[in-house]
Amino acid sequence: MITRPINWNKIEDPIDLEVWNRLTANFWLPEKVPLANDVQSWATLHPDEQQLTMRVFTGLTLLDTIQGTVGSMSIIGDSRTQHEEAVITNIAFMESVHAKSYSSVFSTLCSTADIEEAFRWSEDNPFLQKKAEIVLNNYHGDDPEKKKIASTLLESFLFYSGFYLPMYWSSRAKLTNTADLIRLIIRDEAVHGYYIGYKFQQAYQDASEARKQELHDYAYDLLMELYENETRYTADLYDSMGLTEDVKAFIRYNANKALMNLGFDALFPKDTTDVNPAILSALSPNSDENHDFFSGSGSSYVIGKHEATTDDDWDL
Amino acid sequence: MSNYSYHELNAMLNLYGPNGEIQFDKDKEAAKAYFLDHVNQNTVFFHSLEEKIDYLIENDYYDKEVLDKYDFDFIKSRFKQAYAVKFRFPTFVGAYKFYTSYALKTFDGSRYLERFEDRVVMNALMLAQGDKKLAVSLVDEIISGRFQPATPTFLNAGKQQRGEFVSCFLLRIEDNMESIARAINSSLQLSKRGGGVALNLTNLREAGAPIKKIENQSSGVLPVMKLLEDSFSYANQLGARQGAGAVYLNAHHPDILSFLDTKRENADEKMRIKTLSIGVVIPNITLKLASTNEDMYLFSPYDIERVYGKPMADISITKMYDELVDHPEIRKSKIKARVLFERIAELQFESGYPYIVYEDTANDANPIDGRINMSNLCSEILQVNTPSEYNNDLSYKTIGKDISCNLGSLNIATAMDSPDFGKTIETSIRALTAVADMSYIDSVMSIAEGNKKSRAIGLGQMNLHGYLGKMRIHYGSEEGIDFTNIYFYTVLYHALKASAKMAQETGSPFDGFEKSKYATGEFFTKYVEQEWKPATKRVAAIFKDAKIDVPTQSDWESLAKYVKKHGLYNQNLQAVPPTGSISYINNSTSSIHPIASKIEIRKEGKLGRVYYPAPFMNNDNMEYFEDAYEIGPEKIIDTYAAATQHVDQGLSLTLFFKDTATTRDVNRAQIYAWKKGIKTIYYIRIRQLALEGTEIDNCVSCML
Repeated sequence: MITRPINWNKIEDPIDLEVWNRLTANFWLPEKVPLANDVQSWATLHPDEQQLTMRVFTGLTLLDTIQGTVGSMSIIGDSRTQHEEAVITNIAFMESVHAKSYSSVFSTLCSTADIEEAFRWSEDNPFLQKKAEIVLNNYHGDDPEKKKIASTLLESFLFYSGFYLPMYWSSRAKLTNTADLIRLIIRDEAVHGYYIGYKFQQAYQDASEARKQELHDYAYDLLMELYENETRYTADLYDSMGLTEDVKAFIRYNANKALMNLGFDALFPKDTTDVNPAILSALSPNSDENHDFFSGSGSSYVIGKHEATTDDDWDL
Repeated sequence: MSNYSYHELNAMLNLYGPNGEIQFDKDKEAAKAYFLDHVNQNTVFFHSLEEKIDYLIENDYYDKEVLDKYDFDFIKSRFKQAYAVKFRFPTFVGAYKFYTSYALKTFDGSRYLERFEDRVVMNALMLAQGDKKLAVSLVDEIISGRFQPATPTFLNAGKQQRGEFVSCFLLRIEDNMESIARAINSSLQLSKRGGGVALNLTNLREAGAPIKKIENQSSGVLPVMKLLEDSFSYANQLGARQGAGAVYLNAHHPDILSFLDTKRENADEKMRIKTLSIGVVIPNITLKLASTNEDMYLFSPYDIERVYGKPMADISITKMYDELVDHPEIRKSKIKARVLFERIAELQFESGYPYIVYEDTANDANPIDGRINMSNLCSEILQVNTPSEYNNDLSYKTIGKDISCNLGSLNIATAMDSPDFGKTIETSIRALTAVADMSYIDSVMSIAEGNKKSRAIGLGQMNLHGYLGKMRIHYGSEEGIDFTNIYFYTVLYHALKASAKMAQETGSPFDGFEKSKYATGEFFTKYVEQEWKPATKRVAAIFKDAKIDVPTQSDWESLAKYVKKHGLYNQNLQAVPPTGSISYINNSTSSIHPIASKIEIRKEGKLGRVYYPAPFMNNDNMEYFEDAYEIGPEKIIDTYAAATQHVDQGLSLTLFFKDTATTRDVNRAQIYAWKKGIKTIYYIRIRQLALEGTEIDNCVSCML
């Protein structure tokens, strides 16, 4: 067997390059965000609200851990191009950055005892564990398209019950720097879900009618299985704050988005996906926030494209 | 739908309505709901004004001294004057910002003690210092939204528990431990009292320079930056505002590249600077060297001071460059000049920093005797300074002159509607001067003394884009630039006239007036010898309709004589700040730059994430509200250049790029700005749009 070196000058699928460029331009590390500025705001949260926030973040950490260490690794072998492999390694790495980011939040805001309690909770919570189990079973299977379905559902759907809370806080002027960090994660996950979904669609188009039907049914079945678990998980977390209904609308909205990323029709009717406008607006992955030195770093800057100036430019 | 809270209604501004329209009405509902559901229910009720004032004085909320300068009947009629205007906040963000950040609250923070009108009256009474006529004028100018004091003044006026009224401080640091220690102390003291602090690091010896003649001892500017960053994080103004600071470094300082790298995305934690802003001071020679693609030499400030007896910030690198290069006792290293500019642009993509000061442009335009070697946190203050000397116990051997500036801005749209434009400006200049006269910040003597001598103020402008949109003029068009030119030209005339009038009244011009270009008359040459008038019919008509006279050459001739005879009361008069918070409560677009977005997303510790519509914009005149990224850097620079020629200090100029831009585009804009006579550049902003397929449905700020 011949091993081929990757040639970025010969692109088979332009989407690979576009996504690669986007992901590398979006590179960031949690140290960029001045999380310590949220310490005062954290202290204004009720202990129950603090506990909920920590649990939500532990749940997100678990998903990022799965996606970084198992998920992306399990789909890399099924890549259609070498460039896709390269993009997926970037995705895998960024998932690990995300997983570590939550730890940055924890270590900045909470005590060790609280952190350990939250991690213990994540191991004991049946809904969270079930969510992990369902996804992991898929990743350990040997059907490349089904793995991609699971991966897209994770990226575009399962994260959002957790993302709701920091967006909710930031719309109420709480933990705004933490929200910046989460928005950076959302910015990445939006691209990941879109990309893996796109790769799924390519495979799907090449498939036979029978296979298409199988994948279609499989996607909806898996979504429903995850959705049922997700609603219980949501109620378990958010009932105490009276936000469960709102979060459920939000996860239905994102379930539809995940299906669209896979090229399938939305499942939940529009009137059941009426997301709270404050949350929906807060999600915008664009970098157009207006902020300055009094307001934190924002989620807007990107790594620039270098281009040397020429003599003509310097005609003073 | 009406069960939505005000936050949710406000967020609907950012989501298109069922017919693809922007839902301005939802924001109005949000503002209304905010008052009904929150403000009114959390406001302390008093039966009468007298009861209220007595209570606020007795309980240490209001400063008795401010009110004691007037009889109660007068005070009462000022409140009546303000309430008669029936002021309403046109946007949710305006109201929300006012009540979260400005209104007086009970000490436990739970209830409001003031409405907007009360804050306006307290500002007017405090600033007028017992001058009844001025107090009446000030209530009128502020409640009508024509003049808006900057945050530190507007927030603190008349309160018993308060910070200072001054916005900005600029400190020198000299190359010794006493000066560094003093600088840290001063930063803490000034942050505690409010206002941003900028420090000049140019004089500090470079990494590897000798200490007590022993080579390779100094660790350069980075550790000092770290100390300052931590100092600013620690101090805040009664929790009202986080301390914020900036540091400036000359492009020819040997530490320049490591200074820039502190803002790198992947910088080592020990080297990384997160919340301190940075700026680079660029002399003309740097651009010349880049233009011919040569190396640029970096010079040891330690050696410069040893050889010339002067700190690096006090010499002109442009004038001295060849001599320094040839001097055997000046240690030097070299880098490619273009590499420096490319590095600056890369960093601006990653972090928005550094700010830029074109040092020679600022000095050439400076009418005051002395040298400008730095700017401030918003890059609009440009004033001269002199060094201080310290004893071993950190007391002053010589008190030098450091810089402070209190700011306030005119809302261009409401100012153009003023019944008496000249009076509006005179009243504003008097209000700003009052702050300079009242301030003596003795915890930092170089600031206190500098202010006493110079009484520098900065009258700013905001809502240019809002006004142009209202008049259906495109930002950056021929008419837009023509308007900017004539507006700033007219403002300058009235500002100088007001300051000269105060010098006449007091018989006390600012310290050093006689050595200024105002005294020699040189400053007035371009106005006396050249005719300035509207170039377009439209702008001529605008000023005619507004009944605002555009000053003539003979007006300038008499003003020049008047100034020569009496002097000016203020060393500096204008500076155009970026106006964040105050433009929301004043219903303005920020400063004179274009809107960043039709619906602006504002994120702040105290506000959370809120949505602000461009003033005067509606679903019919949308085409005049192109955003800054669509307008592009050239038109913004052209607009600022038109204003810059009439402003003695600087203007915070932010440049906006789409993410398709490269470092070369940023460099080209910087070169263009320099050619057009721009003095400083503030942030670089890059807008990255969501990858197609990942955007949020129906989101206004997500669409082009």
